[in-house]
Amino acid sequence: MDDQGCPRCKTTKYRNPSLKLMVNVCGHTLCESCVEMLFVRGSGNCVQCNTPLRKSNFRVQLFEDPAIDKEVEIRKKVLKIYNKRELDFSTLKEYNDYLEQVEDIVFNLTNNIDVERTKQIMEQYQRDNKDIIQKNKAKLTREQEELEELLLQEQQDSEQKRLETLQEEQRQLQTKRKNKQALLDELESSRLPAAVLLAQHKDRAVQLETQIEKQKQNVKPANIFSTGIMMGQTVSFASVSRVEEVLYVYQPLCIDAYGPPVPELDQLGRLGYLNHVCTASPQDQAGGYTSGLACHRAIQDAFSGLFTL
Amino acid sequence: MKLNIDGLLVYFPYEYIYPEQYSYMLELKRTLDAKGHGVLEMPSGTGKTICLLSLIVAYQKAYPLEVTKLVYCSRTVPEIEKVVEELRKLMDYYAKQTEAKNDFLALALSSRKNLCIHPEVSALRFGKEVDGKCHSLTASYIRAQHRSNPSQPVCQFYEEFDAVGRQVPIPPGIYNLNDLKDFGRRKGWCPYFLARYAILHANIVVYSYHYLLDPKIADLVSKELAKKSVVVFDEAHNIDNVCIDSMSVNITRRTLDRCQTNVETLQNTISRIKETDAAKLQEEYRRLVEGLKEANVARETDMYLSNPVLPDDILQEAVPGSIRTAEHFVGFMKRFLEYLKARLRIHHVVQESTPQFLKDIYEKVCIDRKPLRFCAERLRSLLRTLEIADITDFSAITLISHFATLVSTYSKGFTIIIEPFEDRTPTIANPVLHFSCMDPSIAIKPVFGRFQSVIITSGTLSPLDIYPRILDFRPVTVASFTMTLARTCLCPLIVGRGNDQVAMTSKFETREDFAVIRNYGNLLLEMSAIVPDGIVAFFTSYIYMENIVASWYEQGILENIQRNKLIFIETQDAAETSMALEKYQEACENGRGAILLSVARGKVSEGIDFVHHYGRAVIMFGVPYVYTQSRILKARLEYLRDQFQIRENDFLTFDAMRHAAQCVGRAIRGKTDYGLMIFADKRYARADKRGKLPRWIQEHLTDGSLNLTIDETVQLGKQFLRQMAQPFRQEDQLGLSLLTLEQLQSEDMLQKIAQIAQQA
Repeated sequence: MDDQGCPRCKTTKYRNPSLKLMVNVCGHTLCESCVEMLFVRGSGNCVQCNTPLRKSNFRVQLFEDPAIDKEVEIRKKVLKIYNKRELDFSTLKEYNDYLEQVEDIVFNLTNNIDVERTKQIMEQYQRDNKDIIQKNKAKLTREQEELEELLLQEQQDSEQKRLETLQEEQRQLQTKRKNKQALLDELESSRLPAAVLLAQHKDRAVQLETQIEKQKQNVKPANIFSTGIMMGQTVSFASVSRVEEVLYVYQPLCIDAYGPPVPELDQLGRLGYLNHVCTASPQDQAGGYTSGLACHRAIQDAFSGLFTL
Repeated sequence: MKLNIDGLLVYFPYEYIYPEQYSYMLELKRTLDAKGHGVLEMPSGTGKTICLLSLIVAYQKAYPLEVTKLVYCSRTVPEIEKVVEELRKLMDYYAKQTEAKNDFLALALSSRKNLCIHPEVSALRFGKEVDGKCHSLTASYIRAQHRSNPSQPVCQFYEEFDAVGRQVPIPPGIYNLNDLKDFGRRKGWCPYFLARYAILHANIVVYSYHYLLDPKIADLVSKELAKKSVVVFDEAHNIDNVCIDSMSVNITRRTLDRCQTNVETLQNTISRIKETDAAKLQEEYRRLVEGLKEANVARETDMYLSNPVLPDDILQEAVPGSIRTAEHFVGFMKRFLEYLKARLRIHHVVQESTPQFLKDIYEKVCIDRKPLRFCAERLRSLLRTLEIADITDFSAITLISHFATLVSTYSKGFTIIIEPFEDRTPTIANPVLHFSCMDPSIAIKPVFGRFQSVIITSGTLSPLDIYPRILDFRPVTVASFTMTLARTCLCPLIVGRGNDQVAMTSKFETREDFAVIRNYGNLLLEMSAIVPDGIVAFFTSYIYMENIVASWYEQGILENIQRNKLIFIETQDAAETSMALEKYQEACENGRGAILLSVARGKVSEGIDFVHHYGRAVIMFGVPYVYTQSRILKARLEYLRDQFQIRENDFLTFDAMRHAAQCVGRAIRGKTDYGLMIFADKRYARADKRGKLPRWIQEHLTDGSLNLTIDETVQLGKQFLRQMAQPFRQEDQLGLSLLTLEQLQSEDMLQKIAQIAQQA
């Protein structure tokens, strides 16, 4: 990279880091100062291939290989004319043939093969397809549309995230300020000793902190697993703290179903209810499901409300 | 012994069984019954491998239609060999018990480097060279040339295999890599291709993760494995990183330069062939026009290059017209290459998404997305047509084409980061383009989709719920098993302070602190005085280790330590490290005692076991967080947060703790083994860190051992070591942590076993 240099004055990038190489339509390089010197009049011939050039056509060389610069220049020009889209063709094969034709033209123009004839073909094509070219000028290809869409979405997402964090921060700041103001007010008006008030304030501040922490943890679950299962529950890794109080005593729920008594779950099989229920597959059973469960529920459903009041 | 696991007759090749093994098999059986995926954690040294093998083999024998194949994936070649040895034991036991002729075929598969028996090729040192040389002897066009011109060298082993090897199936039995080689030598067949062919009808295949996870290899090797296979990933605690690595590409300036020469070679070859044999290019062109896949050339030897994207994502279309002819394609590659070069010429860091990259590339050099997607496919076809024998040189252009295909195929889950220099040396220009995958679920998704049961297992998978989340799958069983012990043979201690009450931590702010370094030194010194034989110490990084050791040297601590034990150091050089390891073991062996200073995430922490006296104590200096300033990591954390709702801190802690657990787990490799586990950082005492250690370590971490000073540690350690040094016979274990068949079948033991598996 450092050994790149101007072929005329032999300056290299290594010796002059601010060296700017320029390239024109013929694909030969010159440094900026040489261009200024040789093309004072605005036009002249290329030092290497004698092609007549205009000064205004000199571009900064983007790539290491000036031939690429030239090719890209030509390609952009050609693509302006050959701007048919995939939809303009009836089959993929035709479209591919068309693409290859475009590629051929670019190839010929870059490598100086049959330049005259190729140019003729291009002009011919331009004349023939004036309407389509006009029409397609503004249209993007389907792929580009997709890309644009993705980019837009990305932008929106990041914007939204930024706003959210900003709002969150502001809210926190506000609550903190409010808390401080409340302390000052209390110190002013309350009859309690200051130490107590300060302690209270400290407590409140700690609570606030933990609240904020908690809010941070509650990231909104906006996504689902690939299997389509919502990722509803946020999982916390901390062990569950032990609660010290009287143990809860379970009292079975008593529901009046207004209907005939439903047989117990474990009796279903014996009474023959399960004979016509499809049996559970091993997959279902791995999760603890039995066919009795569904049957029991169905019977409950069916029996409830059979006695009208 | 013969076991009855949930109605399945399992032959277990040992006289005794651990209760947790029984429980593990129960859980495994349920997973197989349900045809779902499972995540199982069981401490290392409790015989996971034999459990997996004996249960799945029994299952295969009992329900040959339900499970046709076991694919056992492990990490390294020694581990693969270990699995095969266990399997051999199991099969011998089967043969002895049933006295039926064994009809099981099990084999290990590895790279050409480990399997080649060609005298010249196998002498080469690097895997890539072996692959390239093999290709240059076995490619279909080379063999075609050989037919017309017998002086063209070919590999006689492959020729022999191709001629007869396919018709004659390999006799049933257990083959490790050496057995395959021996068999190959005897028959004169190429063992590598024999193994690749034989895995299609083998009952058990043992190979490395990459053969299943890396799409570049999986497409060649594992394409035709049946759906009714059970896939086991052993030692899978790092599986997410393997997935990510298999889809990521790093491009440096050197890659591009080498690619440039590749392109030039291609161009020259094309123009030469055009003059001599234009028909060949014509033929390829015709095929591409008609969109024909290379159906006629499904020859295994030519399939050297393969598509880097997942099979479902390969476009099944004809190659687009713009890169159909060879010249156009070379021009296309040139433009792409120059574009990349221009991108690497920046002076500041750039991070962008794939759509941004694609848009920019269209604007700068008019390259569409579609031809990019076909880049890898097209290059493969071209290299085949040009009949380039030595593929090794073309690794650079292959890499670039993989990058092109990947970047244009995936719009989500990937990021592009261009760094003009390394963070440590901002004055030296060394531009790198990282195309990094951030979502491990992308690479592993086809595996979960394709096979009916995938088992992920390791000694350290805690917290268990994070793996299903980052790999994005629904397991039917998630379980962690603890070690039942007749005596508490592990003693985890968290040292938080030095004797001077200065907190010990590798936190960034205090890691350079004189007092912290001195306290770490004192800890090691004190331990070296009381621990017999070997001590392994882990640091958080190489740089940190160097700093500390230098400072210890200045303070004279090293000298004091060397009075008690010899000191060995792990370095980044693999040969040096293995030398140090060897000497370390020698010093432990002859009673001199030694200390090995090594690095978490290094080679020692991952693959080397310190059984018995090789590791009586492990000291973990600091919490082994990853380098959090790395941009790739930051991007990945952000992605995890947005996509999977995993907070940065949770993931970082999870990652640090799994490595810490890996390190300290090196010392305990069985129930007769014992060792101290010293966590030297006060942050380990916090609930969020401690809670992420595996359950089998957490269980023994009492409140009394959470925030110790150095002399307290010494007291506890002394007591523990003295206790453990008492004779310990097998009879002491029987009935508690080691069961005979009768004991296993007793009622209260079964009840106890039911409690071992804790569903997470």
